[in-house]
This record gives sequence, structure tokens and C-alpha cells, in this order.
Amino acid sequence: MIESGKSICQRMKQISEEAEKDIKTIFMQSCIYTRSSALYELGAKIVELEELCEGLIEYEDRQVQPTQLSITAEELSKYSGKNGMPAYVAVNGIVYNVTNNAAWAAATHFGLTAGKDLTGEFASCHAGQSILEKLMIVGKLI
Amino acid sequence: MAKRIVINPVTRISGFMEIEAFIENNRIIEAKTEGLLFRGFEKMLIGRNPFDAVYFTERICGICSTAHAMASTIALEAAMKITPTEQGRYLRDLIHGCEFLQNHIRHFYQYTTPDFIRLPEGYSLYVPDHNDFRLPKEKNTLIADHYFESLDLSRQAHEMLAVLGGKAPHNHGVFIGGITAQASADKIIKIKSILSTIKKFINEKMIPDAFTIGGYYQEYYHIGGGYGNLLSYGCFNNYAQLGTLYVDPLTYADSGIQAFRPSGIAEEIEYSWYSEDSEPDMDKPKAYSWVKAARYNGMPFETGPLARQWLSGEYRNGISTMDRTIARVLEARKITEIMSILLENIIPDVSVQKKYSIPETAEGEGLIDTTRGALGHWIRINNSVISFYQIITPSVWNLSTRSSIDLKGTAEKALIGTFIQDPDNPVELGRIIRSFDPCISCATHVFSQGKHIKTIKVVP
Amino acid sequence: MMEINGNTCPEYNLRLSAANSLIDKVKTEIERNTLVKKNLVWLELTGCSGNIISLLNGANPDFKYLITCMTDLIYNNSLMAPEGEAALDALFNNTENGFILAVEGAVSIKNNGLYNIIGRWRGEPITALNAVQLLGEKAAHVIAVGACATHGGVSAARPNPAECVGVQSILKRKVIKLPGCPCHPDWFLGTLAHILLYGEPELDDRDRPLLFYSTLIHDRCPRRSYFDKGIFATKLGEKTCMFKLGCRGPVTRVDCPVRQWNDYVNWPIKDDTPCIGCAMFGFPDKMEPFISYNTTRKR
Repeated sequence: MIESGKSICQRMKQISEEAEKDIKTIFMQSCIYTRSSALYELGAKIVELEELCEGLIEYEDRQVQPTQLSITAEELSKYSGKNGMPAYVAVNGIVYNVTNNAAWAAATHFGLTAGKDLTGEFASCHAGQSILEKLMIVGKLI
Repeated sequence: MAKRIVINPVTRISGFMEIEAFIENNRIIEAKTEGLLFRGFEKMLIGRNPFDAVYFTERICGICSTAHAMASTIALEAAMKITPTEQGRYLRDLIHGCEFLQNHIRHFYQYTTPDFIRLPEGYSLYVPDHNDFRLPKEKNTLIADHYFESLDLSRQAHEMLAVLGGKAPHNHGVFIGGITAQASADKIIKIKSILSTIKKFINEKMIPDAFTIGGYYQEYYHIGGGYGNLLSYGCFNNYAQLGTLYVDPLTYADSGIQAFRPSGIAEEIEYSWYSEDSEPDMDKPKAYSWVKAARYNGMPFETGPLARQWLSGEYRNGISTMDRTIARVLEARKITEIMSILLENIIPDVSVQKKYSIPETAEGEGLIDTTRGALGHWIRINNSVISFYQIITPSVWNLSTRSSIDLKGTAEKALIGTFIQDPDNPVELGRIIRSFDPCISCATHVFSQGKHIKTIKVVP
Repeated sequence: MMEINGNTCPEYNLRLSAANSLIDKVKTEIERNTLVKKNLVWLELTGCSGNIISLLNGANPDFKYLITCMTDLIYNNSLMAPEGEAALDALFNNTENGFILAVEGAVSIKNNGLYNIIGRWRGEPITALNAVQLLGEKAAHVIAVGACATHGGVSAARPNPAECVGVQSILKRKVIKLPGCPCHPDWFLGTLAHILLYGEPELDDRDRPLLFYSTLIHDRCPRRSYFDKGIFATKLGEKTCMFKLGCRGPVTRVDCPVRQWNDYVNWPIKDDTPCIGCAMFGFPDKMEPFISYNTTRKR
């Protein structure tokens, strides 16, 4: 699942606050076990920071893509998700790749098939839900 | 002056039926069986993915759902020119056998015995509407106890089915090629264990109970006979190494036992609520039922456990109401024996599934004898989707309307001529009808796209 | 999204045993005469009557416990001893107050409901539509059992020749919905037990008891790790993720992976087939195709 850039940065901020507490503990406490435990916590936070950075890079890549590829409605219709073609759907002018999206088994979703502009259907079913942010962007629908 | 009797609902069957009969001088002089449920499966299947037909058609009926999965699978295999391996057939027939056992135990105890025994007091469900109970108290209580005990056994029959089929009703296991999962040793022993429990119950309780009832209601060996024409599409038959374990496609009529030929099947709608172009039409004059009239070489036939027991030579006492019930319980025992043989021949952990592709155009038929009798599915595929689907169920044979030359349906014929002891309580009618094990949810469909077709030819 | 640690999530164990413990409690209370047995009507309407068969597959409690210790079942087409008028007398004479109505099968509304006649009473046909109208508003609770009663199900599959609709479409009052094809016996018996003890169970925004219908199959699937790693089965009978064959687990909210079927022995995915979404609104049309082999694997 792709987190949004903002939520990643919020978590990073949280980690840095918690890390400060751990560092303070190491300075203040004389008990070696307490300090050991705080060091362990710091180590875990570093691992998490690495993962968050990867997430941020992935998020950045997604933001760059929309300007790179333009897809016509006719081209879109070929991306049915069958026989080797990936499954693409368009919503609000953006084309998304739903080939491995769990809700799109057999490249269908509640009776809808891939390779189409589903702006209307999306609005009537998912208005207000944060679904599109988590989808992989392929390009723009022209 | 003839007295008109209407029984609606005929309870303790699958689906909704009305019997309309006329009694004069204590005899039934006229009778109609009316199927009163319509959904239109044959129309629904058009345009769908052919593989989906296996699971979709299961929903025609809750108590014999596996039967439809079987016929649908066999029709698809015929259309796609796939021959299942023997192991695939054994595994699939094991699931089929489980469905037989579930159905026959429930049909005998839950559907049939309340006609002949008093169930315990204190249950609104079991308050009888007549007094023709002849068993002495002890024997009555014994069968009533077995009624409740049988709930465990029929439930276990479905548990056994689910071991290979995933769930019951509406299993997932029956599919092209055989079944989907593999039979590992733990599944095999689980099935063997449940089977032995069921076998014991059938031998020690169910069969004796049926004969006990027969002993106190002897006239039922002589009423409700019908035409005496019997038909089977064959089942548990034609194995490469095991031969035929039960019955081959055969018919029995005046001319004796002959091979069954699919080209002889026809379905008429003269008295059924369908127009000439197969649309539902409840305003059609003379029509009185959603069930159509299946005929073989123009004649009405009976299918089911009695037909199978007769045609295979296992039970030929007679053709009557009680004989049907006896045949059903004897068949249950036969099925347990067949399943034991199949289990002995299973190779564990064999996978029979392949990656299948839908042909652009194809057609196939799936004919198989199943819990209530002969079941046929016919499929045509065009542009890789279902373009035509026809279903003729056992109840279309047994509970058919009359045909254009006024030949009564099988069950109608069985009712007519019956002596009714007490015209104010014509218990004989329901008892005769129930011996056929009607399933109206199965029996009512419509063709689509064009004229109704008399026979379906399979292109080899 | 909840994590499964160790063997099973404790909350899930709790939910599984909740149904059983509710039913035990009802039993005890009835034995102690602290609970009055209500009347239960089980109507079979435009459907396959598979849900009553499924109910007969219940174990602990089983059907005998239901009719002896939980409710007095006063009407059911498949099981009741009387027939004809006597059967319908039993129905209409015992449904004046306080009964629970369980309905399976959809309601055919074509030709004023005449496509499904469930009886003839005092000379007049009683259609499925009549039955729901006559009894639905009066009942203390109405439970739609199975896909057809919940939203039309297979009976309403395109092109819906008999014009079938779910039970709620006929009634103004609330209908508790138990989708599934068929409905698992535990889902019905657990809901009934809750009603008898505590009143109506907590329902989601589509009137399904949260007790059974809260979490996606996908989030509880034993094969989820295969999905997450992109290891997909190419045909039925394999042990890996069935997503590419058409599995609807990701959009179906019900507890099959944990509860399983028929004395808890198996369930579709464990039988190496995809879930076909039978417990979701939209089944079957919106869950098709059930089985596909030509879905693209790579992004």
C-alpha cells in the first residue's frame, strides 16, 4: 500500500521525537540494561526510517509519472487485463494500473471490466473515499 | 357428483406444488400436478462465462445442487472434448455419492415418514392433519427416534461431501476433469469413517424402518404405479477398469429393457405456461403448470431410484408408491457400497486439474442419472460465451404436465384410479406424490432464443 | 487492518466462540424457564430452498436443538407434517404477535407475484409476495436468509425473468440481512440466539450482523502471504493465491476462512478454488466471471 507523502513525513517526525527521548535516556540512565533497551529502540527506528524513505521515493515516482504518458480511449480499451495485457482503468482523466489490485480479480470489479473510463461509476460508489491515492498511476487519459 | 380436492402447498417436497384432483365414488377420476415456481435459469445462463455454469446451475436446487454441477461439468467436458481421467471420475463420483446419501436419508425420514408415523408432541411443526397412523406405539416411537437421529447422519453426508467439495450445499469441488482439490490420506480416511457410520445406520435402521412402514400400509404396494415406464441415463457406469458399478443408460417399457437413446428425448409445452417462442405466459389457455412435459419416443417415463434399482436388476418387486420408497432406501445402501469400491481405487494426492481455455464455438450434452432421476444439461458456446443452455430435470419426467395428445404426466397417471379411503382426508394423494421425490425448483425453466427444440444433437 | 500474530487472533477466536456461547446461554435460560420460546416462521420463497438444507447441516446447535430449545418452528414448506389448508392454517393462526420471520428465497413480483405461489388458502392463491406483505410488517424481527432473500441473488440474475427482488424491497421495516449462498447455519443460529437473548445484534450499514460479516475474507485468508508476494495459482487445485483465477475474497466480508463449512471441515479456497463472492451484495452478476484462466499475471 502506498502511503501519501504527507503521512510518511508525519510518521518520520513522530520517530524523531521518540528517538530524542531514547537518546536522553541513554545520557541520563546509569543502568546498562535500560541503556541497552534504549539503544535497541533506536536501532528499530533506523530500520523504520529506511522503509519510510523507500516509501517516499515510491510516492515521488508516482507524482512524476502522470506527465510522461498519454493514453487515448481507444488505446485504453486494449488494456483489458486479459491474455497478457495489463488491466488499466481511467478515473477523472488519470489512467491507473489495477492488474494486481486485490479488488480487480479477473480484471473485473463488481461487474465492471477494465480498459474503460469509469469516472461516473467511481463517483457513484466511492465518492469521498481515499482509494485513488493508493492506485498505481500510468498516465493521462486524452 | 365429483368432489374437487386441492392440496396446496404439497409440503415435504422441494419447491412448490399443487395437486388438483377429482374424486367420485372414492376414486380419483382426474388429477393435475402443478409446479408453481418459475425463475428462468435457461435464460439467465445466456451470455455468461461457460466455466461459471458449473457453479451457477448448482443454484437451481439446494438439496440436489451437486447433481447440477455434475451434469453441467459433463456437458462442458463434452463441449471442450475433454475426457476426465479415471481418478478424476472416481473422485467426482464420490462427491456425487455423498449427495445421494444426504438426499435419500432426508427424503425418507424428513419428507416421507411424517405421512406414516406420529412425531412427538410439543412441536407445532409436527401436528398432523389426519389420523391414518397404523403403527403400534413402540414401532412408531422407534421410527420417530430415528427421524431425529437421522439428522446427524444426513448432516454427516454433507460433511463428507465438503471434505472433497469445499462446502455443501453448492460445493466448489466438482469441476471439469474431475474435482479441484486432491484427496490426501487424511481426507480419504475421514470419508471412509463417515461412510461406515452412514452404512451402519442405513442397514440397521433406515431399511428396516422402510419395510416396517410397508408392512402396515400394504395397499401402497398396489397404488400410485403410473405407466410403468422406467428410464435411466446411467450413473456410476462405464468405468474403464471397474466397468459399470450401478446402472447403464436403459429403459423399461412393454417391450422390455432396451438401451436408452438420447435422440428420443423431447420436451412439450402444450399445457405449460410458455408461449410458442418460449416466453413465460400465464394467460395461455389450458396451461396449468410451469413444469414442461418430457417424453421419450413420445411416451411419459418415470426416473429415479426405482427405475435404477429395476434396470440394474437390484429390486424388481413392483412399480408403486411403496416400491419407490423401498427402492430409495435400498439404493442408499447400494451407493455406500459403490463409494467403498471407489475409495479402494483412489490414488491419493493426484491432481487432475489443468489450465483450460474456452473454445470459440462448441456444444455438448451432459446426461447423468442423479438423486431424483435422469438429469440433462445441454450447452452451446458461441463467441466464447454461453449462447444456449437447456435443462431437463428428473422432475420434468416425473411431475410433467400432460402432452398434446392428452397423455397424462407420470405422477398424474399414478394418482388417477387410486381408491381414496376417506375423501375428506385424501392422504393417499400426498403420499403418492412424495414417493416421486419431487423437486419443483428444478423442474421449471424456459428456453430462450427461438423455437423450442425437440431434440438436441451433439456434434461429434 | 488487524495483524494475525502467532496462531490466531484472539478477537477472532472470541467471535467464533461467541455464536456457540450465545446459543448455550439461550438453552440454559429456556431450561430455567427464564426465556419464553418464541414462534419462528421459516418461509421458503423464490429460490432453491438451499438455506433450509444448510440449516439442517447445523451442528451444536443442530436442528433438533433449534426446535426443542430455542424457538417453536411453526411453518416450513420442506419439513412440516400437515399439507394444504391445514399447513396454511398453522401459519396464519399462529402469527398474530411476537413471531420471528425468517425468509429464504427472493420475492418474484412479476404478474402480481403469481410466478411463485406458495399455497392456496380458502380458495385464493397465496404468492410469495402476499406472504411477505401479510407477515413482514407484523413480525417482531425479519431475517433475510441467504443471497436471494437479501438482495435477489441468483433468482434475480440478469435478465431476471421472474422480476425477483430482495425481501427488503417489499417491506418498510428493517430486515436483518444474512447474505451467503447458502447462508451458513451458524450465521442464522447465532443471529437468532442474539435476538432471543439480547434483542437485535449490532448491524453494519447494510443490516448485516457484525458478529459474522465484519472482515474481508482477504484479510483473513491463509493464502494472503502468497498474494502479498505475488505468487499466484495458474489453475484450480493449486495451493497458492487464487487471485488470478478470479478470487473475490478481497471484496467479500464474511468469516468463511475462520469458521469454514459443514462441521468446520473445509471452505472453497481451502478446496483449491477461488471464492466466488457468494456472501456479497451483487452475487452472482457482479461477482462474475467466477473462474478465469486468461487474466494477465504481470503488471
